Amino acid sequence: MKNCLGIINMSENDSTMGALTQNRPTAMLPIAGRYRVIDFVLSNMVNSGITGIGVFTGNKVRSVMDHLGSGQPWDLDRKLNGLFVFTPTYDYHSIHRKIGDLELFFENNSFVKYAKQDYLLFSKSYMLANIDYNEAFKAFLESGADISIVYKKVKDKSNAFLGCDKIHFDDDGVFESIGTNLGMDIEFNMSMEMYFIKKSVYFEILYDAVEKGNANYLKQAIFNNLDKYKVHTHEFKGHVFPINTIKNYFNANMGILKSDIEKDLFFSNGHILTKVKDEPSTYYKQNAKVKNSFVANGCIIDGYVENSIIFRGVKIDKGCIIRNSIVMQKSDIQENVHLNYVILDKRAKVSKGVTLIGDPSSPYIASKKATITREGEQ
Amino acid sequence: MKEGKMIAMLLAGGQGSRLKLLTKDVAKPAVPFGGKYRIIDFPLSNCSNSNIFDVGILTQYKPYQLNSHIGIGSSWDLDRPNGGVRVLPPYTNEQGGRWYKGTANAIYENLSFIDELDPEFVLILSGDHIYKMDYSVMLDFHLEKNADVTVSVIEVPWEETNRFGILKIDADQLITEFLEKPKNATSNLASMGIYIFNWKSLRDYLIADEKNPDSENDFGKNIIPNMTVDGKKMYAYKFQGYWKDVGTIKSYWEANMDLLSDENTLDLYDRTWKIYSKNKHLPPHYISADAHVKNSMINEGCVINGTLENAMLFNEIHIEKNAVVKNSVILSGVVVEEGASVYNAVIMENVVVESGTKIGSPDSEEVYLVSSTNIIKS
Repeated sequence: MKNCLGIINMSENDSTMGALTQNRPTAMLPIAGRYRVIDFVLSNMVNSGITGIGVFTGNKVRSVMDHLGSGQPWDLDRKLNGLFVFTPTYDYHSIHRKIGDLELFFENNSFVKYAKQDYLLFSKSYMLANIDYNEAFKAFLESGADISIVYKKVKDKSNAFLGCDKIHFDDDGVFESIGTNLGMDIEFNMSMEMYFIKKSVYFEILYDAVEKGNANYLKQAIFNNLDKYKVHTHEFKGHVFPINTIKNYFNANMGILKSDIEKDLFFSNGHILTKVKDEPSTYYKQNAKVKNSFVANGCIIDGYVENSIIFRGVKIDKGCIIRNSIVMQKSDIQENVHLNYVILDKRAKVSKGVTLIGDPSSPYIASKKATITREGEQ
Repeated sequence: MKEGKMIAMLLAGGQGSRLKLLTKDVAKPAVPFGGKYRIIDFPLSNCSNSNIFDVGILTQYKPYQLNSHIGIGSSWDLDRPNGGVRVLPPYTNEQGGRWYKGTANAIYENLSFIDELDPEFVLILSGDHIYKMDYSVMLDFHLEKNADVTVSVIEVPWEETNRFGILKIDADQLITEFLEKPKNATSNLASMGIYIFNWKSLRDYLIADEKNPDSENDFGKNIIPNMTVDGKKMYAYKFQGYWKDVGTIKSYWEANMDLLSDENTLDLYDRTWKIYSKNKHLPPHYISADAHVKNSMINEGCVINGTLENAMLFNEIHIEKNAVVKNSVILSGVVVEEGASVYNAVIMENVVVESGTKIGSPDSEEVYLVSSTNIIKS
């Protein structure tokens, strides 16, 4: 895949993620015990042999910069190609600033223009999957198409995938159109928002959209032009978890407790890479009792944990009962705390004897660095 | 000479023959320890945490795994544009090739390396020991005493004095006598094999020692005694804390079990003095609903379905249903199949303990070393 440039587009709608995305974009959400959402798409690209990757961020850049650094964990600190991060700029058009990501791509078009690759792979970060792009890329090249869209056939009984892009085929199975899923069909073809585009076609679409002013988002610009180009589609058959609502985020985490899903997400096409924290192994003390849980390194556990995802460096004291919960990095849970259907964001501290109960459809969320004590106690 | 500059020379060529099969394929410093480390991670992390960024590593015995573990030193922040880690194997020159004859000879053979770095002090370390130590505090002591040599010492149990180089000191901590493995010791201060030398002075002694055909070219047996005879100012720096030379299978097993004890003083969870190691990018471990885990340490990538008590598990280990592992150290990639039981054992990498196998017994104190070909009693 040397001839393909990877572009990760973080302009994702995070308004449905509540406190979890108050200070971070969806791409930076901690997930699955030791990862961030973006690690999946980054690792997929790297494991597929893509060596040049541009990341186009939104406005919440602090955690992005902290996490990505030089790109070293993904083997992207390179002389040739490597990792490039593009943040929105404020100096030029601040007064007339439009919403959308199109302007960011237009401002930074020299990155793509001067890249040696002839093909581009655009991807959002929020579709969690372990995917080998080689297969899709090969099929795209063989088809001679201008654009290729990766999709997944999904069955969605609970309307979990509302708002995702829906692909329609005609009776011969040829791509017809793309729109938004409103939940009319239980079974549909969900776009994974991963597109291969010929570089020349990308510039035609980008310039056309800027001149006509008929799109704010790159995706919109591409959709406006789909009837002009030859469009190919590629079906992905592995597991996909869109991280676009709190419920989907919760279910994706709980999904990895199933061993077939865990194997697929973490091992099927190479390991998922992330920033290294050098935590020691997790220590289970005398009173520890752990059932059906996924636990990262650096934890010290002396309580009861069931059906939960425990991130790196978490402390769970004796007498605690933690069930159906997601406990993020370095949270500190003191004696006799009960949690059920709770998401504790990073470095949250829950004092002795506190009980927090959420609901499967709407977990209780404790925000980052929150300290939770019993009423009347300090 | 750069004023105050100290470099470290780390002796990592030893076989550690009493560790038997554990060092069949690797040098002793590369022996796995503590769930995710290799022994050499301790001195290397100590260097990095003590702000020593010039580290020469002397290798000789089966260096392949050690070399690939060290790489360019990035795991310990020792990949530096100036200095950093340098692996120093024996080499050939106009007079032919030579192996390192002893610890002092290994340093002698690399005189030109040290001369080029031009330090004021040289810190001699062994890659065989497990401990956390701030070498900069030892250097402060060395400077305060205006010493020619400072030897780090630790109090050992009187009955073990015949295993160590024993030092006698006066009230000012000046070393008055040095005895190698004495039968009837009058002091229980043992040399830890950690020395700070003034480079100018050490350089002269190394050259003189090399000219003596009867010398064993060893720091403990030759250089230090010679300096004592010459009345050099040699001081003992008393180290307090956990220090272990794992010489035998039994002491290797014990040192791992130490980490599972409440009285353990080697705090791996101290964030101000992290022990770094090469990272494998594995997902968190999974503990199923059938598992019982008590007083154990577990690393990433493990899947636990059986019973663990006082167990030290490395990475990617599968403990199947109804399998029992107690008081044991399990190295990476091991599978303990359904119904098998393991007591008081060290199981080497990638061994499959087949269903129904019983290793060790809950009633015996015998420790077993298990490889894929045989089982050795310690």
